[in-house]
Amino acid sequence: MARTRPHRLELLQGTLDLLILRTLQWGPQHGHGISVAIRTSSHDVLHIDHGSLYPALHRLERQGWVEAEWKTTENKQRAKYYRLTAAGRRQVQAERDRWARLTEAIGRVLDPA
Amino acid sequence: MTWRRPWTPLRRLLLWRAQEDLDLDDELAFHLAEETRLRIDRGASPADAARGARLAFGNVTVAKEATRGVWVSGAMERLRQDLRSGVRIVTNAPVLLLSAVTLVALVIGGNTTVYSIAHAILSKPAPGIPADNLTTLSWVRDDGFVEPETTYANYLDLAAHSRSLGPMLAQQYLRVALGHENGSYGLWAAAVSTNYFQTLRVPIPLGRSFTEDENQSATSGLVVVISDRAWREYFAAASSVIGAAVLVNGMPGTIIGVTAPDFRGTQLAPSVDVWVPIVPFARATNGAPLSGRGTEAELPFVGSFVGVLAQVRRDASLTQARAELTTLWQRLQAQYGTVPQNRSVLLLPYAATAGGNGPLSTQGTTFLAIFSVITVLTLMIVCANVANLLLGRATVRQRELALRQSLGASRIRIVRMLLAEGLVIAVLACVAAYIFARWMSSVVAGLVTPMVPPAVAQVITLPDWTVAGYALMLALGSMVFFTLAPAARAWKQPLLPWLKAGEQGVAPGRSRLSSGLVVLQLALAVLLITSAGLASRSIVLFATTDLGFDSRSILLATVNTGGGAADPQASATLLERLRVRLQAVPGIEGVSYSWSGQRANVRADALGAGAVGDSLVTNVNYIGPDYLRVYGVMPLAGRELGFEDGHAITPAVVTQRLAQRLWPGQPAIGRRLFVGPQRQREAEIVGVAPDVYFNGNRLNGNPQTGNVYVLLPSSQGLRDPGERTLSLRYQGRLDVVAPAISRAIRNEDPRVPLVRLRTYEAELEADFWPVRALMTLLTMFALMSLIVAVVGQYAVIAFDMRRRVREFGVRIALGASSRQILTAVLTEGFRLTAFGLAIGFGLSVLTGAGLSRALYGITPTDPLTYGSVLLLLSVISLAACSLPAVRASRVNPISTLRQE
Repeated sequence: MARTRPHRLELLQGTLDLLILRTLQWGPQHGHGISVAIRTSSHDVLHIDHGSLYPALHRLERQGWVEAEWKTTENKQRAKYYRLTAAGRRQVQAERDRWARLTEAIGRVLDPA
Repeated sequence: MTWRRPWTPLRRLLLWRAQEDLDLDDELAFHLAEETRLRIDRGASPADAARGARLAFGNVTVAKEATRGVWVSGAMERLRQDLRSGVRIVTNAPVLLLSAVTLVALVIGGNTTVYSIAHAILSKPAPGIPADNLTTLSWVRDDGFVEPETTYANYLDLAAHSRSLGPMLAQQYLRVALGHENGSYGLWAAAVSTNYFQTLRVPIPLGRSFTEDENQSATSGLVVVISDRAWREYFAAASSVIGAAVLVNGMPGTIIGVTAPDFRGTQLAPSVDVWVPIVPFARATNGAPLSGRGTEAELPFVGSFVGVLAQVRRDASLTQARAELTTLWQRLQAQYGTVPQNRSVLLLPYAATAGGNGPLSTQGTTFLAIFSVITVLTLMIVCANVANLLLGRATVRQRELALRQSLGASRIRIVRMLLAEGLVIAVLACVAAYIFARWMSSVVAGLVTPMVPPAVAQVITLPDWTVAGYALMLALGSMVFFTLAPAARAWKQPLLPWLKAGEQGVAPGRSRLSSGLVVLQLALAVLLITSAGLASRSIVLFATTDLGFDSRSILLATVNTGGGAADPQASATLLERLRVRLQAVPGIEGVSYSWSGQRANVRADALGAGAVGDSLVTNVNYIGPDYLRVYGVMPLAGRELGFEDGHAITPAVVTQRLAQRLWPGQPAIGRRLFVGPQRQREAEIVGVAPDVYFNGNRLNGNPQTGNVYVLLPSSQGLRDPGERTLSLRYQGRLDVVAPAISRAIRNEDPRVPLVRLRTYEAELEADFWPVRALMTLLTMFALMSLIVAVVGQYAVIAFDMRRRVREFGVRIALGASSRQILTAVLTEGFRLTAFGLAIGFGLSVLTGAGLSRALYGITPTDPLTYGSVLLLLSVISLAACSLPAVRASRVNPISTLRQE
């Protein structure tokens, strides 16, 4: 399964939720849109494994951080749109803080002052 | 499984996750379509775009599974999934499900029925009584026999001195004649202490209950409380009944109260209609006051022997009351020589004694204990059968289970799946068992209704949560039991052989235990069927046995002479007056009466050669005039008996065979015989009657002695007034004759109630009820056990056959014919049948001795019955084995061997 190309990076464990939530802060989006958005905003570096995107979306839905709704796209197709809930917005902030602390800590380890 | 396809929409509809599944499919399909569109926009050809989209997405099924995995993360979700996989057994293995449910339902239903009846009789109060805090006193003899009564004097003493018991009542059950201006009725009465209704806390909705003064002999006559039923039936439910004048056994009384509708006394049977205060009733009957002490033989019957119930005080426990009563009783024993020394007092909760506080209530717990053991045993046998069925299924599914396990299902998960299947079976079985138990209770209630008062039938058929809980407990317990075996197998199953080569692996060796169980069940079934067969054969024989007379146009009328006669002599004269009066009724051809004496020793006189001292036991009946004529038989020699008053020596009639036995080859007329162990009564033979079953009682004892009689005149066997039965030969229509009879009795003496009027045939039928009930019950249980045994046999043989499919394949490939395979499997099955039959017949012969008392006209080893059972069981077990045998013989060697 590991067919990642050299210039692409594997997602760090636990970061997918943060990326999805962050992407949804721009507005409601369907699964495919989320994956495209992450890919573009990471300049094609981060490719989400679709095998884990949908489980993650459904998990977030169950946790109450996003809610889903079936809507019609501009191409007249039925698609499931995900949207951040209030709890989700709080969660984005929490995850961002956690991420900041993590990168800071890792940075200190790599470049001890 | 092509036939599962039509189920799919239905399953979608029924199962919880269907909509979410569909949504997920749509969501992923949309993703792929969107990706494809994106790639086409970027300039790829549609085919390349679709392919690229798929490649980029990866495995759709895995993604779906992973997403579903999110749904079922919680324990509840897993449980729901387990249940769903359990429910699949309904569509995947309907035959197995049906057999398993039938088995479990039969055994649980049967057990529940017996348990609910036992529970009803052993632990429910009679209707209308709030049972809490009530206790029943009994007396246990040294030999273990339980006396439900003590003397009235002992009752008074205990009631006066007990501190732990509150109000204490005394009661004596009696048959009485209740007469008033509308007619006279023979009823059950209770002569009671005046605190009876207060002690039981039973309301008197109309009128009042007894006062304490009324326990003293009242000059104004008896006060009487009657049942709601008697009030409606005999007094047209008129409120003017209070204060109405009645006669109780000819003694004047006044009705002062009517009980609540459901209250009919403290016992389930008999149901009481009349309550009178015991002291004045006994004084009026015996002509002497009560409460005198004396040995039991000296005391008059009425009023002297009473059952005792009491309230336990709120501040005392039953244990305390027991201790206190034991002390009081021992003091009585020390004080009076007339108090039996070999008895101890016993206090039981009243609810346990409503079925009678004799042996039944005290041995009830023992009975329940034995019954529980039997229940557990039968349940285990049945569970073993179901386990066998499930094992057979597990063998077939071994590959599937191995695959699931290798795909990552944990062992616990697989065991949970098996348990879920068990749960489905258990739940369905529980529902089926409940329906079955309800049905069976109504059958049993229907069986006992002609014999017992409605109160008993009522408590039997009442739905009961204790019983339902009991059934549920049995079902769940058995579920665990019968899923254990397949679960254990799944637990230790090695995966590789199953994955490598189909059904190549061989299930562990055949179980001696399961074969043994099948033999045991077959034996049990044989025992029950044989017993049922013997009972039904006896019914057939009974129905075809010649009574010696034509019973079709005989009526039996039971009257209570107590209403019109005060002593034995008056009772006898009254009966004779009734006979003469009834003879004048149009449509009546002859009237007589009789009561049976004890069976007695009879000796011939010493005149005849060779007949000296030959003592025989025969039936002795005291009969009225015209007895033989009423039964439609003529004396073979000599004459009939008349009223026969004032003879110096008692005249007697004997039946033919007895005469030949006593005086072989000589005329019997004019000879003497002696009746009784000490030759108390000497009689002279005046007539010889044909051999006739006068009592119609072809059951009691064997048919060889049932028609051997010494008939003595009624005037020689006087008895206290009470219930007597007249026999009447009639012609014409019963609905004309019957009212004429009751009119004639009323005209002769309005104080004499006609207690029962029925045809002789109906009486015979009632006599035969125990055997019929026994047969019905035995047949029901026999059928049940037969089904259980046969399904069990099928399960074992089918399991064995599945295990050996490869062996059969090889044998067929090597040239064995289907017939040979068929024979091999059938032989195996029949070996079990043969063992079962042998053991079952052995058991039948052993238990037959106990059954012989209920049998008529056949020995317990009746060859015809045994032959039929042999045939029946052979045919049925042949059928059970032939299905797997045929399947074995049709094994396709190529398909079984190809998987090598």
